[in-house]
Order: sequence, then C-alpha cells, then structure tokens
Amino acid sequence: MKRSRRKTYRKLVETELETLPLMGLFVVLIPMLLLSAVFLHITVIPVPLPDDDSARVEEADAFSVSVRILDDRFQVEAKGSPARVITRDHAALETLSRELLEVVTAHPENRAVTIISEPTTRYEDIVAVMDVTREAGLPQVALAGEGS
Amino acid sequence: MRASRRKRTRRLAGLSAVPRLRMTSMMDILTVLLLFLLKSFVVDGESLTPPPGLQLPQSTSDSVPEESIHLAVEDRGVLLGEELVATTDQVLREPGYVIAPLAARLRKLQAQSGRIAQMQGRERRRTATIQGDKDLQFALLQKVMYTLSVNGYADISLAVIRKS
Repeated sequence: MKRSRRKTYRKLVETELETLPLMGLFVVLIPMLLLSAVFLHITVIPVPLPDDDSARVEEADAFSVSVRILDDRFQVEAKGSPARVITRDHAALETLSRELLEVVTAHPENRAVTIISEPTTRYEDIVAVMDVTREAGLPQVALAGEGS
Repeated sequence: MRASRRKRTRRLAGLSAVPRLRMTSMMDILTVLLLFLLKSFVVDGESLTPPPGLQLPQSTSDSVPEESIHLAVEDRGVLLGEELVATTDQVLREPGYVIAPLAARLRKLQAQSGRIAQMQGRERRRTATIQGDKDLQFALLQKVMYTLSVNGYADISLAVIRKS
C-alpha cells in the first residue's frame, strides 16, 4: 500500500516540459540573426554637392568661412577677419573647435563651411575636421581642393 | 554480478538507466542570446558592408545610410558595388578630375535606373555612398566626388564608423 503511493508521486515529479520544438526554433533563429547582426554601426556624413546653377548665383558679398588643412597647421579663414593659424599638435582639434565657435557666435545665421585640403591630406583627418565643424554648429560642409 | 546489483539499486531508487539531458540551462542561454540578437537586428535603413581590408574612419555622425549606389575607394582603386572599375594608378594618371571608366559605368547605371523609374512612373533621387579607406588621399576622393557630381549624383554621403 505504502509502496504504490510512492510510485504515483514519482510519476508526477518526473513529468518534464517538452522543450525540443522550442530548441528547434532557436537553432534556426539564432544562426539567422547572427548572420544579419550588425556589430559595427556604420553611419554616413551627408556632403551634398552644389550643382552648377546654385554655384553661379552665389552672392559675392555673403559671409563665408573655411578651414584649410595643411601638413603642420589648420587655418580658419572667415570673411572680414584675418586668418587664424592653429598648429597641429595633440590639442589642435579642441583649439579649432573653440575658434569655430567664436565664428559661429559672431555669425549665427551662417551654417556652411568649406574644408580646403591638400591633395595628400588623409581622409581620416578630413573626417575629424568635419566632426569638429558639425559640432561647432556648421553642418553644411563643402569639400574643396587646394587651388580648385 | 556487481553491475546487475548496481542496476537493481538504481531501479529501486527510481532512476532510469538512461539519464535524460537537462535542457533548462541551455534554454536560458539561448533565450538571452536570442534577445540580444533581436535587439541588434537592423530593421530600418540600409546596412553597408565595407570590402575586406578597407578601414573606414571613425566619426560622431549618426545619420543613417539611405538607399544609394555604393562606391569603395581603397588601395586597389575604385570599386562600384563589388566590381573594380579603375585602379589607383589609373585614377591618379588621369589628367583631369573625371575618372573616365567610372563615368562610363555611372552613365550605364543611370540609363538602367532611368528605364526602371520610367516603368514605375516616378523620378528617383540619385544618391551615392562613398566608403573610403581612412588613409585615402584627398586627390583620389576629390576625383571620385567630381565624377559622381558631373554624372548627376549630387547627393553624396561618406560612410564612417560611429564612435562609441
């Protein structure tokens, strides 16, 4: 009598959840998601180029600011003020940011900046300067080459 | 003799001869992994995959890439999609700003997309995304951008890796 009761109890405890179909689903879903997963977030910097018509109607007396990237220095050239030279050391980008903020404070209506590079300027340096100009409040970036 | 006794003891103790695999802990791991992967799954925007060997520069920009043609500019030269259109030497030797082989491929692509747009009855914006290696020289990038611009691709985006 005592033995049979024990048996019933054991049966109840040993009933397990049937996880095999769920495992099958996981085995299919996980490789699929792993294949489509993005571990490096790639973003873009929009650089809309002016078309010929808009380039022609550009006003001659409008305010403009440009950043020239040279081998050893950055040069901030704002219309109507002398060029500011920043030596390219470890704190050059912070100094450039401060200089650009001054320009933005003086001309808050201006949102455009031209980045003038030399033919040998590294792309990484141009992107770093673009980040600084965008954060300083000049998001409309135009790229130009030396002499173009 | 000893084995049969062990079997008997086991039977008496209520253990089955073949132990069953416990799935609960594995299910926990898989559930966590599934949730993590679902979170990183990109639904909107277009995902860009730079060609092997190309190192994109890092930037703080957070604009999402849009549907566009993809160009890669690296050591070997200029790639349109996965096809090498012009080698670096070829590009730097060109006297002007226009890269002739790239311009020809762009015109062909435009004619094709023009036909598709005609069939769909709507004008498509011509946009291009440039994936440039971080050590790329500006002279090369300038020529690629100029060639794109004179062939009607005025909306250009530069692909970068978002700084974390």
